[in-house]
Amino acid sequence: MFFLHNLERRVLLHPSYFGKNMTELVTTKLVKDVEGTCTGDYYIIAIMDTFDLSEGRILPGSGMAEFTVGYRAVVWRPFKGEVVDTICTSVNQHGFFANAGPLSIFVSSHLIPDEITYDANATPPQYTNHSDIVIEPGTHVRIKIIGLRTGVGEMFAIGKIDGDYLGCLQA
Amino acid sequence: MGKTKTIRLGNRLRYPITIVRLLKSPGDTVKKQDALMEYSFKWYKEVGDTIRGDTWEEEQTTFADWCSPSDGTLKSWSIKEGQVIKQDGPCLMIDEDCSHEIQFQGLCAICGKDMTEANWAAETRDTERAPISMVHDQTNLTVSTTHAQKSERELQKRLLESRKLSLVVDLDQTVIQACIDPTVGEWMKDPTNPNYDSVKNVKTFQLDDGPHALVRKCWYYIKMRPGLEGFLRRISTMYELHVYTMGTRAYAQNVARVVDPEKKLFGNRVISRDENGNMYSKSLQRLFPVSTNMVVIIDDRSDVWPHNRPNLIKVTPYEFFKGIGDINASFLPKRQDLLTSAPSTNGVKKEEKPAEKNAKAVAAGKDTDEVTQEQLEEQQSALEKQINERPLQLLQEKQDKEDEEAEKATVQSDDSSSSRSSSPPPQRHKVLLDDDNELEFLEKHLTQLHKAYYTNYDQKKSKRAIGEDVPDVGQLLDNLKAKVLRGYQIALSGVLPQNTDIYRSEIGQQITSFGAKLRSTVSKDVTHLVVNSAQPGTAKLNAARRYPHIKIVGLEWLAQCFAEWAAVDETPYLYFKDDAKNVAATRQEQGDSSDESDEEMQGVESSNNLLKTPPPKRSKLKLTLPGKAEDDGDVADEDEDGLLPDEVEEGQMSPIDGLKTFNWGSADDELAEFLASGSDDDDDDEDMDEEDEEDDQDFAPAEESSSSSSSEDSRASLKRKSRSRSGSPVTRKRKLDDDDGEEEGKEEEDGEESSPAKRIRRMKSQRGSSLRNQYEVAPDLPTPAVTGDEVEEGGEDKGENYTDLDEEALEADLEAEFAAMENGEGEWGNEAGEGEDKG
Repeated sequence: MFFLHNLERRVLLHPSYFGKNMTELVTTKLVKDVEGTCTGDYYIIAIMDTFDLSEGRILPGSGMAEFTVGYRAVVWRPFKGEVVDTICTSVNQHGFFANAGPLSIFVSSHLIPDEITYDANATPPQYTNHSDIVIEPGTHVRIKIIGLRTGVGEMFAIGKIDGDYLGCLQA
Repeated sequence: MGKTKTIRLGNRLRYPITIVRLLKSPGDTVKKQDALMEYSFKWYKEVGDTIRGDTWEEEQTTFADWCSPSDGTLKSWSIKEGQVIKQDGPCLMIDEDCSHEIQFQGLCAICGKDMTEANWAAETRDTERAPISMVHDQTNLTVSTTHAQKSERELQKRLLESRKLSLVVDLDQTVIQACIDPTVGEWMKDPTNPNYDSVKNVKTFQLDDGPHALVRKCWYYIKMRPGLEGFLRRISTMYELHVYTMGTRAYAQNVARVVDPEKKLFGNRVISRDENGNMYSKSLQRLFPVSTNMVVIIDDRSDVWPHNRPNLIKVTPYEFFKGIGDINASFLPKRQDLLTSAPSTNGVKKEEKPAEKNAKAVAAGKDTDEVTQEQLEEQQSALEKQINERPLQLLQEKQDKEDEEAEKATVQSDDSSSSRSSSPPPQRHKVLLDDDNELEFLEKHLTQLHKAYYTNYDQKKSKRAIGEDVPDVGQLLDNLKAKVLRGYQIALSGVLPQNTDIYRSEIGQQITSFGAKLRSTVSKDVTHLVVNSAQPGTAKLNAARRYPHIKIVGLEWLAQCFAEWAAVDETPYLYFKDDAKNVAATRQEQGDSSDESDEEMQGVESSNNLLKTPPPKRSKLKLTLPGKAEDDGDVADEDEDGLLPDEVEEGQMSPIDGLKTFNWGSADDELAEFLASGSDDDDDDEDMDEEDEEDDQDFAPAEESSSSSSSEDSRASLKRKSRSRSGSPVTRKRKLDDDDGEEEGKEEEDGEESSPAKRIRRMKSQRGSSLRNQYEVAPDLPTPAVTGDEVEEGGEDKGENYTDLDEEALEADLEAEFAAMENGEGEWGNEAGEGEDKG
């Protein structure tokens, strides 16, 4: 699910950047540092705006200036039970992998409807019901997330496609 | 999905225990860490005053709960209330909700639960339930043993239905060779480059996986082994193909794309070192954890498959980019393969053995990650080196230089006979030759193996003997291979360092795997002695020569047998083909060291070596060399009688066709001039004769070639500029020394020879030795010949401005022939070799 989230971050600025447009530089650096990262619980998709830029504080020893910046960002946090649209990336005999944006989701063959079976002889190998449904790398699939695990700066998920309105999306 | 699991009490309890109460009854739903029963145990506690030492032990009884280690429905208890249990044993059965058979990154892929949670109720972590990683492109997807078995059974069924087997294909040096030397790219763009034709089919891609700035975005040049496309297409009807490489994932995928653009052959069955989980070896169990009965491997190295040797078909390494080797091999131990061509001298293979280094580092207490990091850096630096040093360019430059010098020599010596003025651009030689036919053999072997497998399978099936078991392809492969050299008893000489266990050595294992018996000493049982021609050991060699039935062959014979899976004819590989061969080798060296001998000389040389001297030339030889006429005449007759070379019969073009246009007149003039000027020629001839006749009279034809060609040689060298003069005598002296050595080595055999032969030899050796002394002084003395030369040189210089077109063509022919001789070494020595056998 997507959220608008108020966050705060300390940004360090090298002394060579001290000058008139420091605020701008701090914002740029913030965007560069933060956008597209995963905190472990959610992905920071985009920064909307910044506010409450603190005064710079010179760090003793290094000479870097530390700013505390408040910012508002669009974050995406996947939840157990959430349904996401994904693109299949790889298929094997145990199931298939799909990407929902930055999140890699595995769907095991146990959680694929029984009529959709693994066909190893096809090139490339695919899951198919031998009529209209074909899941191969590149296919758009709607998946329900049933399990999530967070690591340091990364997340993994397990999904299923046996359920109403789940599975292959007809383009 | 539910599966009954028997749960044990675990050995963390303080046995003996007494079951007090069962808290749940069969049919109840239990959750992890729910208390299932109460038990009690007795123990002793030290009580009293510890300060005064007034203590005693008192028995205590403690009651505790026993908690469920997993989720599910309780099926049955196997313990009763009041029971005393002395040791760990099964206590209940649970129908589990999920047995967590497939896990992805610590998540159960079936129920979505986190498997990494440590739990006080369970003794083992749930992640251990799915320990096997068997997917090509992922390491973090693991399955349980039962699931692996299931999916492998499915695979087996599918393969049997389509009558296929699995074939694991190595990339580097087996089906392709990769190189990052930018020179290749330049050659590909330059149609005038001599290598343009060779590199025309080289495929390229750009990879961005180098951490260093230089290696980043570097171009990879991929040369496919000749006939690869057809090979894979045909093989893929019998085998399901997998790629297994020690390159990175990106590299493997790019190469797979080059080899198989439509992904029809390999599909997504590509595994690289990123997913292998081991930097030093490959394992079939990584892909086929349960049974490798239907899997065949083709690889150029057997040492990387420590546990799967039976399934391996070893392939001769493909070396197209000379000296580059395998760009992904720097993690692996150095190749210890004797049968491969000379080890690469530059590029990536120069480093210290990584495995050894690893061991050292481990001993030093270093972290393995650190070591890996070091090795990564090492590989990077090796790659950088390749980019910077451009080994191929150096090679070509060297070749060009040689050509150039040969060219110069030609122009200088031949202008007397040349009459045209146009000068075509010099013929440059290419360093990249595309002459590999390994895949033909390989296809044959694989077809044969596939046939054998399914014949065996059908037999078993018809007998209904087939249950779960299918025939083992490793066994069939062994059987097939064991037939190849059955009955042969092979001894090695100069092949392995002393004190090595020959039965464990790579070559020893290979020999035995092909059904031959390996012998450490030469005895009368031995049928073949394999000699390393680079460093022949003398003891075994001499011992073997005492038995006429022992065939003494070079390593190439063994290599060829292994490649073809057939006991190939030994004749071309015999070590003692004749001495003419040795002479030719020396001559070639000589030619190299002294600016590649001039063209006409080469012409005569090759014609003589090949015993194809055209009649007019021969008669002239007789005329102009009256002193030798008797010897040579006889020899020449024999020559014509029964020893025409095979090449002619096979309908190939004679290598001396180019000589038809040769100006024999001028050559004869020079010859006459030379003969008038010095006597060097004579003694050289005698030496050669003497040496040749030592072995056998049957050697006569070969002798003829060597003697007359060496006479040509001496003439030519005299005729060369003083610069080249200074070079050639040295090499000739060396040759003479060699002869001496051989003479000594052969004294044993002398006793067996007939007396006339002995007499002749003695006579000649006497003559030879006296002349040799004289000869060794000669080069430094100003002889009349030199004066003659200088006069002639004046003429040559004038002619250097123009070159004869014919001469050019001729030279090209001769060079080609020489190259062919070097490759198919020994074809021309057949007759002499047979002669050796008889003797």
